[in-house]
Amino acid sequence: MSAGIYVHVPFCLTRCGYCDFNAVAGMDHLRSRYVAALLREADLVSGEWTEEEFVSIFVGGGTPTTLDPGDLKTLLTRVRARFRVRGDAEVTVEANPDTVDAVSLERLLAAGFERLSLGAQSFDGHVLRALERVHPPEAVRRAVRQARAAGYRNLNLDLIYGAEGETLESWERTLLETIDLGPEHVSAYALTIEPSTPLGRKVRAGLARPPDPDLQADMFLLAGETLASAGYQHYEVSNWARPGFACVHNLGYWERRPYAGLGAGAHAFRGDRRWWNVRPPEQYLQLVEAGRAPIGGEERLDSFDAYLEELLLRLRTLRGVPASWVYPGDAEPYLEGGLLEDRDGYLVPTERGMLLLNELVLGPASGPAGPGRRDAAPGARAIPGPGWPARTGPRTPPWGLLTM
Amino acid sequence: MKPGPLARHAGVRRLGAPYDRRGVTDTSRIRNFCIVAHIDHGKSTLADRLLEITHAVSERDMRAQYLDKMDLERERGITIKAQAVRLTHEVRGQVYELNLIDTPGHVDFTYEVSRSLAACEGAVLLVDAAQGIEAQTLANFHLARDAGLAIVPVLNKIDLPAAQPDEVARELAAVVGCDAADVLRVSAKTGEGVTALLERVVERVPAPGGAREDPLRALIFDSSFDPYRGVVAYVRVHDGVLPSRSRVRLMAAGIESDAEEAGVFAPEPTPVPELGPGEVGYLVTGLKDVHQVKVGDTITLSGKGAAREPLPGYREPKPMVWSGLFPAEGGDYGDLRDALDRLKLSDSALHYEPETSQALGFGFRCGFLGLLHMDIVKERLEREFGLELIATAPNVEFHVVRGSEVTVVHNPSEMPPPGTFDVVREPVVLATIITPSDYLGAVLELCQSRRGEMLDLRYLSPDRAEVHYRLPLAEIIFDFFDQLKSRTRGYASLDYEPWGYEEADLVRVDVLLHGEPVDAFSSVVHRDKAYQYGRAMVERLKELIPRQLFDVAIQAAIGSRIIARETVKAKRKDVLAKCYGGDITRKRKLLEQQKKGKARLRRVGRVDVPQEAFIAALRVDQRSGVRP
Repeated sequence: MSAGIYVHVPFCLTRCGYCDFNAVAGMDHLRSRYVAALLREADLVSGEWTEEEFVSIFVGGGTPTTLDPGDLKTLLTRVRARFRVRGDAEVTVEANPDTVDAVSLERLLAAGFERLSLGAQSFDGHVLRALERVHPPEAVRRAVRQARAAGYRNLNLDLIYGAEGETLESWERTLLETIDLGPEHVSAYALTIEPSTPLGRKVRAGLARPPDPDLQADMFLLAGETLASAGYQHYEVSNWARPGFACVHNLGYWERRPYAGLGAGAHAFRGDRRWWNVRPPEQYLQLVEAGRAPIGGEERLDSFDAYLEELLLRLRTLRGVPASWVYPGDAEPYLEGGLLEDRDGYLVPTERGMLLLNELVLGPASGPAGPGRRDAAPGARAIPGPGWPARTGPRTPPWGLLTM
Repeated sequence: MKPGPLARHAGVRRLGAPYDRRGVTDTSRIRNFCIVAHIDHGKSTLADRLLEITHAVSERDMRAQYLDKMDLERERGITIKAQAVRLTHEVRGQVYELNLIDTPGHVDFTYEVSRSLAACEGAVLLVDAAQGIEAQTLANFHLARDAGLAIVPVLNKIDLPAAQPDEVARELAAVVGCDAADVLRVSAKTGEGVTALLERVVERVPAPGGAREDPLRALIFDSSFDPYRGVVAYVRVHDGVLPSRSRVRLMAAGIESDAEEAGVFAPEPTPVPELGPGEVGYLVTGLKDVHQVKVGDTITLSGKGAAREPLPGYREPKPMVWSGLFPAEGGDYGDLRDALDRLKLSDSALHYEPETSQALGFGFRCGFLGLLHMDIVKERLEREFGLELIATAPNVEFHVVRGSEVTVVHNPSEMPPPGTFDVVREPVVLATIITPSDYLGAVLELCQSRRGEMLDLRYLSPDRAEVHYRLPLAEIIFDFFDQLKSRTRGYASLDYEPWGYEEADLVRVDVLLHGEPVDAFSSVVHRDKAYQYGRAMVERLKELIPRQLFDVAIQAAIGSRIIARETVKAKRKDVLAKCYGGDITRKRKLLEQQKKGKARLRRVGRVDVPQEAFIAALRVDQRSGVRP
């Protein structure tokens, strides 16, 4: 099955208050050891992946471009040498505007990183400061110009909406500026307050206001309208692309295709198993340098987990869920309420539906314990379908689409 | 006969006991007395000291507040169950049998207090020398005096730096109608003055009357349930003799039984051959159902020796406060039923009947003597039986009158709609409040705002006033006590007694979620307060009900008339944003967590309401004084 490779680079110039990704600042002295470890890990684990053909490589972070383009080139060369990577595979590198310049961008493209994902976040200086991003809005425009000049034909801009002080008007300006720059792909994420982050602590202490979910809903819908009218297709909850530019690598996650993971905290998935590397970079280095696979944990997905993921992930995208997966009647309230559409036998979320995905999956309350539910039928088929026994017990829709 | 715990001390006799050769006590050497005191004024400590001084309890067995049996009682510092203990004490060469009858010290148990008093000839009126007289003391003093008891006024805690013995003695003397010099001064803590108190009891409390030859009449002033031996009645023999084993008749209950054993508390249960006139002790009744052995009933012998007339003053225990109890987990209904069945064995005042609520499912409508009784039952259900409960707001019993027909309603949701009946009557009480004069204005204001009618106001001293109000009981159970405490910085005290039923302009306020009435939130309130109640309820629910897929109207209504409304706006966003580096696991776990939370939702019509919302909405807010 066509697979992806994720490579994690944890280094950042500074740590942003909202971010709970596996990222560290001020550990630059570990860089060369880290690159060597990534090469070593590719050697160590590639033997497990001989069956898969890889259609995407994604170098993310952290900020991968804190590494020297030469190092990134060595890395990509090693990955291509160890894994069966298709010649036309999508190869993405993430970058922050202030870690790239005309020269480094040229070198990255020449090395084979043909897709560039820039962490723009916003074009409003106030918002960038609220997010503790160090670059000014101008840096994004400059980076895009330089990337285009270098020859990039596949650009993504990452945006975050809902920071403290951001208004609908400011968000609209950010969207319009983004469209002005003409990237092939736009990712727009609702700011989420993670409890373990500095921002999470501030919110708990009452020093910062959490995002207003209604405003974020308006921002989401505005993004949908604005980007659609500029020719972008909303193909996943947080992702928009011009035709032909949907991110192959990220689609792999939503479609539950296998992926390998290299680097501290990277996740891998194949079949019914998901596993992940240790998170702290030092620990990762020690294990790899000792010649051991740096695995930090794993899980086996039972049929329920697989079904829940399948439902959840499919509903994030325009693929939707085959109507036959859902008990007759369960989808009706959502179809009537305009949260789902029936497209040729597939239940596909509308813009409003995407905003209420958890609701679509779980329903407003857990449904009755029917014969298909997890407790009642351990080891049941992963995917329900026609011929499932009828549920018993009283119920009032909506229940959500989760039938097990 | 299987020996139970009561038989542990069988055969123990103490030296110097006032028995004649036949083991019969001379009534002139018996004194039956109780201690009347406000909570925390040191009654239990004094009882401990009395037990110690009379050597009824060895120092090794002495534990603080010996007579308070249940853990809960010791923790709350209150006495739920009356008990009696026999003390022997020598005064001027004569050995006396002193029966100390412990009375419950809370307004919920006024009737039990009155029965305990009926078992005595005297009462020690115990007052904290720092606090002065409280409402409860005063109310119980009036009960004691009306019952014809000799009063022994005593100041306690004279060792406290804050004690004002002279002032409080004057106050006490004025109430009792004696000379301030007659007020004894003791410290139950140090034991100072306690021996003098015993002498005073012997001197002032009359010996009981009654003749051995008369037909037996023994008053049941309390009962308890022993798992091995069934129902044990605490009795005071007024006339005749109660043999240890005999066929007895309970006159009000109209049942007979073979009593298995008579005994006295010395203080451990000790069997005796008989209880003679004036004596206090226990009877193992041979009955298994605590509801057959009612406080206030008269025990006589079966057959020819039976008395014709019972002792006066019997009354059926009557629940005053009702509340619905529902298991938080629907599946625990059977456990709740079993737990109530077990509690009932030892609590004859507890009433319950099955109730079905649309919102809360299967549960029980329970009747209690008062709020404290309700709290105790709830706490015991949760603590001893491990149940998690949702309790509806307490309400009183209403009498709905249609022509000549009277319907008793003790569930607000059963209250008929306006226009379908002639009048409603609600229970009223006579409340006694004692407050420092500084807070009198605040107290009067509170009582007025609670539909009170002032009956009397007088000053106990220049600093302290005594007020009598007629108040609807519904207003009292509506966090009145907490309000009183907060408005008087805890200095005022309250006591009340039932005062019949009176007509009132009461309406049922319903709460509707998305157009559906939620029976658990219905309440019967006075028409003038309906708006305030409805407003407070919808505002509180607005904070508690999570956003749904549609706008949820929360309305308060009288019949079909909406009196207050709030809206919970539809939820618009419920989605997990980004997944980092393929970490789908985390996303799925978050969703599974959310799913678990949803399992605790109850659906009312189309609206999902979390369990916690029911609990929080039904709680009387003690700080703000706003109910809901």
